[in-house]
Amino acid sequence: MKKFAKWLFLVVTVVVTLGVTGNMNTKADSNTPATDQYLSKVKAKGELVVGTSPDFPPYEFTKNINGKSKVVGMDMEISKKVASDMGVKLVIRRMDFDSLLVALQTGKVDMVIAGMSKTPKRAKSVDFSNVYYKAGEDLVIKKSDLKTIKSYKSLAGKAIGAQTGSIQYNLVKNQATKSTLKGMDKDTDLILALQTNKIDAIALDQPTAEAYAKNTDGLVAINAHFKDEGEQGSAIAFPKGAQSLVNSANKSIAEIKAKNLIHKQYLPNAGKYLATGKSKSAKAANSMWAYKDFFIAGVGYTLMISAVSVVIGFLLGTLLALMRLSKNKIANGISVSYIEFVRGTPLMVQILFIYFGLGLVVNIPALLSGIIAVSLNSGAYVAEVIRSGISSIAVGQTEASRSLGLSRSMTMRFIILPQAMKNIWPALGNEFVSLIKESSIVSIIGVKDLIYQSRIVQADTYRGVMPLLITMILYFIMTFGLSRLMKFFEGRMTHE
Amino acid sequence: MNNETATPVLEVKHLKKVFGKNEVLKDINEQVSNGQVICLIGPSGAGKSTFLRCLNMLDQPTSGEVLFEGQDLTKLDDKQLDKTRENMGMVFQSFNLFPHKTVIENIKLAPVKVKGEDDATATATAEKLLKQVGLENKADAFPASLSGGQQQRVAIARALAMNPKVMLFDEPTSALDPEMVGEVLKVMQDLASEGMTMVVVTHEMGFARNVADKVWFMADGYIQESAEPKTFFEHPETDRAKDFLAKILEA
Repeated sequence: MKKFAKWLFLVVTVVVTLGVTGNMNTKADSNTPATDQYLSKVKAKGELVVGTSPDFPPYEFTKNINGKSKVVGMDMEISKKVASDMGVKLVIRRMDFDSLLVALQTGKVDMVIAGMSKTPKRAKSVDFSNVYYKAGEDLVIKKSDLKTIKSYKSLAGKAIGAQTGSIQYNLVKNQATKSTLKGMDKDTDLILALQTNKIDAIALDQPTAEAYAKNTDGLVAINAHFKDEGEQGSAIAFPKGAQSLVNSANKSIAEIKAKNLIHKQYLPNAGKYLATGKSKSAKAANSMWAYKDFFIAGVGYTLMISAVSVVIGFLLGTLLALMRLSKNKIANGISVSYIEFVRGTPLMVQILFIYFGLGLVVNIPALLSGIIAVSLNSGAYVAEVIRSGISSIAVGQTEASRSLGLSRSMTMRFIILPQAMKNIWPALGNEFVSLIKESSIVSIIGVKDLIYQSRIVQADTYRGVMPLLITMILYFIMTFGLSRLMKFFEGRMTHE
Repeated sequence: MNNETATPVLEVKHLKKVFGKNEVLKDINEQVSNGQVICLIGPSGAGKSTFLRCLNMLDQPTSGEVLFEGQDLTKLDDKQLDKTRENMGMVFQSFNLFPHKTVIENIKLAPVKVKGEDDATATATAEKLLKQVGLENKADAFPASLSGGQQQRVAIARALAMNPKVMLFDEPTSALDPEMVGEVLKVMQDLASEGMTMVVVTHEMGFARNVADKVWFMADGYIQESAEPKTFFEHPETDRAKDFLAKILEA
């Protein structure tokens, strides 16, 4: 194991070093002339890939337009302008807010715009454009609390929610020391938590707070009265050293400011998508049936990821089990280390590692990364199931087979594995059922599986519980269907 | 049956087998001629089964030689060993039929997979063998539905399907209910009278006395006596053998 630890350390060191050297360029300000290749690369491929976390109205949020979920909002209008000023097409990648800067550093996206405040801390790992918008912080609270809650100071002893990694999160942490801070990834989850009394207020950027208040019954936005900690408002993030992109974006931002486009055009446009939130037609549009295509697409991705991973995981698991049972010390050592390591680390970290970590070396798309991670993970678990199945077959079976002249591998193939398979079938079924469920973690890197889709529906419709309920039922149908299928085959394998 | 003059089918020289610190076989030197039926008897734990399993290398001898038709099996690699095992059928105490295959599939498996026989030939042979052991109507049954005696007869047919030169029997009737012992012994007796070379580890003294050409009496890791059954049972030489026979007669 010691050797293995050394090896692991080496890998991690290499990955980290790659990551750091990628960012070792000098700090640049907006007047620095650009000497880098970033802009020419973007122009060469003809598209600007923008990462965002679309749960942040009016900056960016999703809207069901003709049955398709589109990212809209002020930031998207700015991105369009930035892209068209560069003369390239705009491509939008959605992901969790927390993953955005990692995606930027690992080259998954060319720029990040997400109502992201320009802070000195963030500026250490990325380069920011000039600030394009600055707003104060609000608290979203329930209307019934309007009389008692006047600012964050009224919330002593109560719980305040904020998006993990956001400016508001730090403000609450630093200033509202008498309150409990509850961090969540998604604003939609925070709204749900507020509605279900898990928290008493949400600290949000002012326009976002107002957007949610406007679109959700029973919620209002008030000024949070945080002390200014010197944050500089929202800016666009670029990879460290991408001065050419920063310069280009700054030119666009200067034009936007000169023409006052944000207040004249972008915010009102975003408002149009939001304003219908409580009207009748909006309610019809927000019914779950209107989003059936989302759920269908989600089920499709989840089934696809699961099916591919079951097959690869099964083959890999069989191979690992045979290696583990083999007398060859090297094969055995590889198998044991692999199984122990994979089972000893969370699937979530494995997925992030494959997407972002390996992403430094080779660019693997999110869906493929997800499938690889889930397959590799499943292989380790399946290997143990198969190994137990093989060990459960009496040694007399091998002896009888070998005494007839069958080779070691023929014995495994014709005698041991078929019987082992029958014995482990129920355990294998459980393994595959949990694979379907655990595949939901791939949504964190933006794979459009069922969880991801239900998040979009939540964000689009401002309805927290219903999409979750539907998602739950859909998962159940899939897992229950699979276990019935396994039962059917189990029945066919019984020999009496 | 008369002793052949040619090289013996099986010959062991200074065979030794150690499990950990336990010296099971100390120094065995014997030979089996073509067509001979050997019964290996002795007290439990004497190493009879281990000896038998050393003959087809299911247990690797610690030292010594096992010659099959003049070829030392202890020097062969896996592939050559597989080839040799085709010629040495083995029948186990616990039958070891393949439970996921029907009776006829059990019998056809090795001829088809190892020898590459076509299905029709293998089926014809299997049917003939099933008839020989009196189970032609059980071809499509699964082993779990058969009695112990029937299973053991299938196991014998399965071993015979490879057309072996020697048959090794490892206490073939010890796991059977008493009323089923006879049917299995009958099959073995028929086989012996057809001239099959056989090495049989058994506690069935009647079978040893009536069918064997030679009885090997094994105890304490050695073959203590090797004699014609009549001589052995009526005039045992060693105290160990006398003691053993006395205990059996008491029972």
